[in-house]
Amino acid sequence: MSTDRCYHCGDPLPASPILATIDGKPRAMCCSGCASAAAWIGSAGLGDYYRLREGDSSRVEEAPPDLSSWDRDDVQAAHARHLDDGGREITVVVDGMHCAACAWLIDRALRREAGVEDVSANAVTGRVELRWREGATRLSRLLGRLYQLGYRPFLASGEQLETARRQERRRMLIRLGIAGLGAMQVMMFAEALYLDHANEMPVATRDFFRWIAVLVSTPVVFYSGWPFIAGLWREVSLRRLGMDTLVGGSILLAWAASLVQTLRGGEQVWFDASVMFVLFLLAARYLEQMARQRANAQVEALARARPALATREVEDGSRRQLPVGELQPGDRVFVAAGEPLPADGHLLGDARLDESLLTGESTPRLRGANDEVFAGSLCLDQPLRLTVTRCGQDTRLSHMVRLVEQAQSQRPPLAQWADRIASRFVAVVIVAAVLVFAAWTWIAGANHGFETALALLVVSCPCALSLAVPAALAATHSGLSRMGVLALSERALFAATRIDDLLMDKTGTLTEGQPRLLATQGFNGVSEADALRLAAALESGSTHPLARAFGEANVHACDLRITPGLGIEGRVDGRALRLGRADFAASGEDDGALWLGDGGQALARFEVGDRLRTDAAATVQALRSRGLSLAILSGDAETAVARVASALQIDDWQARQSPEDKLAAIRRHQAAGHRVGMLGDGLNDAPVLAAADLSIAMSDGAALAHRAADLIVLNGRLDRVPAALAQAGRMQRVVRQNLSWALAYNAIALPVAALGLITPGLAALGMALSSLGVTLNALRLATPPATPDTETTAAESAREITA
Amino acid sequence: MNILLVLVPISLFLLAVAIGAFIWAVRSGQFDDLDTPSIDILADGDHRPDTKPRADDD
Repeated sequence: MSTDRCYHCGDPLPASPILATIDGKPRAMCCSGCASAAAWIGSAGLGDYYRLREGDSSRVEEAPPDLSSWDRDDVQAAHARHLDDGGREITVVVDGMHCAACAWLIDRALRREAGVEDVSANAVTGRVELRWREGATRLSRLLGRLYQLGYRPFLASGEQLETARRQERRRMLIRLGIAGLGAMQVMMFAEALYLDHANEMPVATRDFFRWIAVLVSTPVVFYSGWPFIAGLWREVSLRRLGMDTLVGGSILLAWAASLVQTLRGGEQVWFDASVMFVLFLLAARYLEQMARQRANAQVEALARARPALATREVEDGSRRQLPVGELQPGDRVFVAAGEPLPADGHLLGDARLDESLLTGESTPRLRGANDEVFAGSLCLDQPLRLTVTRCGQDTRLSHMVRLVEQAQSQRPPLAQWADRIASRFVAVVIVAAVLVFAAWTWIAGANHGFETALALLVVSCPCALSLAVPAALAATHSGLSRMGVLALSERALFAATRIDDLLMDKTGTLTEGQPRLLATQGFNGVSEADALRLAAALESGSTHPLARAFGEANVHACDLRITPGLGIEGRVDGRALRLGRADFAASGEDDGALWLGDGGQALARFEVGDRLRTDAAATVQALRSRGLSLAILSGDAETAVARVASALQIDDWQARQSPEDKLAAIRRHQAAGHRVGMLGDGLNDAPVLAAADLSIAMSDGAALAHRAADLIVLNGRLDRVPAALAQAGRMQRVVRQNLSWALAYNAIALPVAALGLITPGLAALGMALSSLGVTLNALRLATPPATPDTETTAAESAREITA
Repeated sequence: MNILLVLVPISLFLLAVAIGAFIWAVRSGQFDDLDTPSIDILADGDHRPDTKPRADDD
C-alpha cells in the first residue's frame, strides 16, 4: 500500500491528511471518518484486521446517519426475531464486507458492545446475524458501530428465501454426511462378503452381515438418495428420460434386488453399489451447488438498495415513518436528499435523481412533476415527494433483480447439448441393459444376467457427461467471484477466449472515473488553503463526488442553494460565494475548471480531472501478452484521451466518440473478421456493450442491473480483466477435458460391462470415480491462480500521469 | 465368530452416535460459514480490549 493513500480505505489523500496512530505507527487518513474508525480498531486491539484483510476497506462516512428508526417497534417486529431467552435476533446485510477479515472485524467489534449475545458475520453472503438482549442495548447503537467502521447496514430482504436456502444447504449436508458414514459401514460389510471367495463363511454369519447392510443402506438410499428418487419420479411422471431416471432407477434396482437376494438367501448382494452411487453423486452435486450459491450471493447486493423505512405523508402534511413493506400504491411518500426511493411512483415536484442503478446513466437526471420515477434511484440535492404507483415485488428494481437471477440460472447451450446427449444415452443404456440381461440370462442364468445388467446400468450412467459443463461453470463462477468478477451470462465465458480485439472506454475504465482535484490556484489574495476551506464549506451540503475532493468542512456555510448544471451558492463567514462554472461563479468564460468567486470577482480556480487507474499500465501489458490488439474509444476530448493513450502506449485511439460512433467502430472491427471485446464502465454505453462479442463492465454493485454486460468487475480493479479472460480460457480447457473424458469413459465402460467383466460394486466405483474426476477437475477452477501483484513500479509511475 | 454379535452392534451404535453428532453440528450452524473461522484462529486471545485485565493472559 503506497503512502499517498488513506491507510484505512485506500482513497487518495487530500492536501492535509489526518494522522492517527495505529499499533504505534502514525498513519495518514483521508478523512475524520476513516481516522476514527482506524483509531477505534487500533485501541480495541483489533489492529490485526489491517494485516488480515485482502484489500482496502470502505471509506467511512463522517457523520453516521440517524439510525434511531431501527429501534422502532414496528420495524423490529417485522424483522427481528424474538428468542426464547428474551433476546432478539436480526439479520442485516452490510455493504463493504469484502473478505473474511471484515467478517472477523465485525464479529470482534460487535462482541465488545454490552448487551450483545452473539454475532456471526459471513463474508460470502454479506450477512451479519446479530443477537442482542433487549433493554441492555439498542439496535441503533450496534448498527452505529458498524457505520463507524465503514459498513453500512441494510435490512436483509428475502429473509424467508435465505432461511429456506440455508435449510436446504443444511439438509443437503446432512444427506451427504449420512451417505458418507453409512456407505463406509456398508462397504465394510460388503468387503467381508467379497473376501469370502471360497464360500467358507457360515450362512448365518453371511445373512447377519447382509441384514446389517440392509439396516444401514436403507436410510442411505431413501433419505440421502431421496433427491434422485424424487427426480426419478418427476421424470417418469413427465415421461421424459433423464439422468435421474438412470441414477434413481439404478439405486432402487440395486437395493431392491439385494433385499430380494437377502430374503431368498441368494448368491450375491449389491448394497455397496447402491450406497456408493448415492454417496459419490451426492458429493458431486453438493460441490456444484455450493459453487453456484457462492456466485449467486453477489446478486443480492442489488436488493440492498431498498431502504428499510419509508416516510408517508398524510393529508394534513404530517409525516410518519413506516416499514417499506407496508407501503401501498396511492400513498404519498417523502424522500430526504441522499436517500433511495422506496417505491416506483409519480413525482409531485421537481427533483434531481441518480438513476444509475436502473438505467446505468451516471449523470443525475432532472425530473419534473408527474414524471415516473423508480425505486432504487437516489434523491439528490433536495427532498422530494411522490405518489406510489408500484411497490414491493412489482417495482422495476425487483423485476431487474429477477432478470439477473434468471440469467444466472439458465443453462448454457453447451450444457443443454450435453443434457440432450445424456438423455439419448440413457435410452440406449436402458435398451442395452435389457438386451444384456436377456443374453446373459440365457447364457448363465438370471442371477448373472441381473448382475451384468446392473453393472451396465451403473457403470454407464452418463453423470460425468452431465456434470462436465455445469461443474466447470459453477467452479468458474466461484473462482471469478473470488476475484471480484461477476459473470452474468455463461455464454460470455465461452466467448471470452475467442476475442482478439479489445476496445476500451477511457473514463471510469482506464481512469478512475471520479473527478479529483488536480490543481488549485488562488486569486486576489486568497491562499490555496483558504480557497479549499471555502470550497469545502460550500460543498458540504452536496452529494456530488467532487465534494469529497475538497476535504472536510470546518467552517459553516448557510443559505446553500444549488443551481443544477452551474454550481452552488451560499454564505460563508458572512460572505456570499459561488462555486461552479466560470460564468456562474466569476462571470468569466467556462473553461471546464471549477471556479470560486462572488459572482463577479474570481477568488480561486480548481482544476479537476480524472486519474489513471493504478493498475492500468500492468493490465494493458497483460492484455497485450494475451495477444489482444487494444484500442481506446472515448467520448472525451482529444487531449485527455491522447494523454492516457500515450501513457499506456496504445497507438489506436479515438476521441469524441458518441455511442453511435463506438457502435460503428465495433461493427467495423467485426466486419473485418475480428471478435471484439468491449471494456466499458457499463454506465453510458449499454448498446455498445450489447453489440460486442464480449462485454466487460467496470462498475460497483449498483450497476449489476446492467445486463448488457457479460462480465462485471466489481471492485474496480482493472487487472481482474486479463485474469478473468485467463480464467475463461482455463475453463474452456477443463470443459473440453471433461467432455472428452466423460465420452471416452462411457464408450469404453459400456462394452466392458456388457461383456460381464465387472461387478456392480466395481461399476459403481468406476462410475463414481469418473464423475468425481470430472468434478475435481472442474474444482481446480474455483481457486484462481495467484495474480501477480499489480502495484509494481510501472503502475506506480503510471499513477502520476493524470488524464 | 460370536464376538461379531457384540462388535457389529457396537459399531452400529457408534455409527448412530456419529450421525447424531453430525446432524447436531449441521443444525447448530457449524458448517454455515467455512471461510471466516479460518481467519478467526489467526489472531485471537493475545489482544484484549483495555476493559479486561491482561493478567489472565500469559
